[in-house]
Amino acid sequence: MSIRSLFLALPLVFSIACGDDGNAPRDAAPEPDAASEPPCVTNPQTYQEIINACTDAVKIYKDSHPPLLNPDGTLPPLP
Amino acid sequence: MTRAVLLIGIALAIPHRANAQVAEPTKCSTLPHVLYMQVGDTQVNLLKRLGRALRDNTAQPISLAFFTSGSCVNISSFYAGSALPKSTTFQYLPSRAEDADWDADNPMHSATLSCVPDDAVVPDVGNSALFNSACTDGAAPANVQLEEGAVQAYVLAVPKASAATAITFEEAYFVFGFGMAGMIAPWTDNSQIFTRKPTTSTLLAWARNLGIPADKWALAPQQTSSQTVVDKINAGTAATIGLLGAEVYDGNRGTMNVLAYRAKGQAAAYYPDSSATARDKRNVRDGHYTVWSPTIWMDRIGNPKSVDTRYVIDLIANKPVTPAPSFEMISFIAKVGLVPDCAMAVTRDFEGGPLRLYKPTTSCTCKYESIVDTTACTACTDSCTTGVCRNGYCEDH
Repeated sequence: MSIRSLFLALPLVFSIACGDDGNAPRDAAPEPDAASEPPCVTNPQTYQEIINACTDAVKIYKDSHPPLLNPDGTLPPLP
Repeated sequence: MTRAVLLIGIALAIPHRANAQVAEPTKCSTLPHVLYMQVGDTQVNLLKRLGRALRDNTAQPISLAFFTSGSCVNISSFYAGSALPKSTTFQYLPSRAEDADWDADNPMHSATLSCVPDDAVVPDVGNSALFNSACTDGAAPANVQLEEGAVQAYVLAVPKASAATAITFEEAYFVFGFGMAGMIAPWTDNSQIFTRKPTTSTLLAWARNLGIPADKWALAPQQTSSQTVVDKINAGTAATIGLLGAEVYDGNRGTMNVLAYRAKGQAAAYYPDSSATARDKRNVRDGHYTVWSPTIWMDRIGNPKSVDTRYVIDLIANKPVTPAPSFEMISFIAKVGLVPDCAMAVTRDFEGGPLRLYKPTTSCTCKYESIVDTTACTACTDSCTTGVCRNGYCEDH
């Protein structure tokens, strides 16, 4: 298997490992295909890994773009 | 005609005479082994079950008389040793002898009873439903003991009429920090955004998780109780959203929906439970749902009632107590939507702080799961091939 094909296959492998039940409701955005679904973490240790750990719990992917979000994605100060 | 008018007059007078004979309120001091408690209103469902069971706990009967107010008020009052005034109305539960049909799970027959103290009274037990440090920088007085009880998740709930299923950290920041100016559909009507007072755990937990200071939530009149938020959501529109304790939401699932929440840096949104209909709090327990706090229970060293206060607090903390109670405390905790510490796989050190992996001293995950869902754990009677036989299941430690 070439490096390129391995790279393309990795997201699919991760998405299977995540064990999404496939019935997760989707909010606003179309259901991401396997290639675009973020990989989950199989052996979480840090906070970021814990909240993104693999699970078969229902997940809802939401494509959200709040109008007031700063261009760099940060939050503006409260009024 | 005169006679008819006279009869009508008598008939109208009878109800007034009946109303005039209002019974004297029950004196709390007449209840056996009464403990006065000042607690957050998210804990009422738990205390109703525990209070009922303790009335009939033959080995150590106790009557819980509880008064609800915001967590920060409870903390400052308990630290200061402040008395509640004589006019305070406490809630308590009937014993089986007093009302055999009372049932916490029967909405038509689960109301609490009321009692009043003989005089101003200093509560024996205090409660906050979040880290005390979220309310005060001051340490607890030397004579106040703090005990972590079950974990309480906090949710954003919407009416059944709402099509929304999830909300992100960023969206919630704009909804509750900017109101309609935040332009997050469908929550663009300030009159339909229902929050709580800034002294409550429900608001403070969300405040710390969203990075919105408690004094920046005054978009709309803040609700004085969880029940008023429930009422507003039930009467709401597609634009309605409200803050609730998960325990309160779990008691009102028939009339509202919970939103899955995507924390900052999280790829997907998750419910507190593994699905919208489950009751397993799996995402709270493993860290996928991030908005939760421990409940903190306080009593005073040197209180002449300390045998009873420790008994009650140890029960709530799901610790072994002597004499053994006539009921299974973990069932009460689990069934009202709380999570005992021994079933948690993550913890945090302060309100809204980052989660880290956690291994309780003695696990009760199998037992907890057997109550709220099904468990894959092996049942046991006295020993296990792997793990420890506890409460009928092979727990891993």
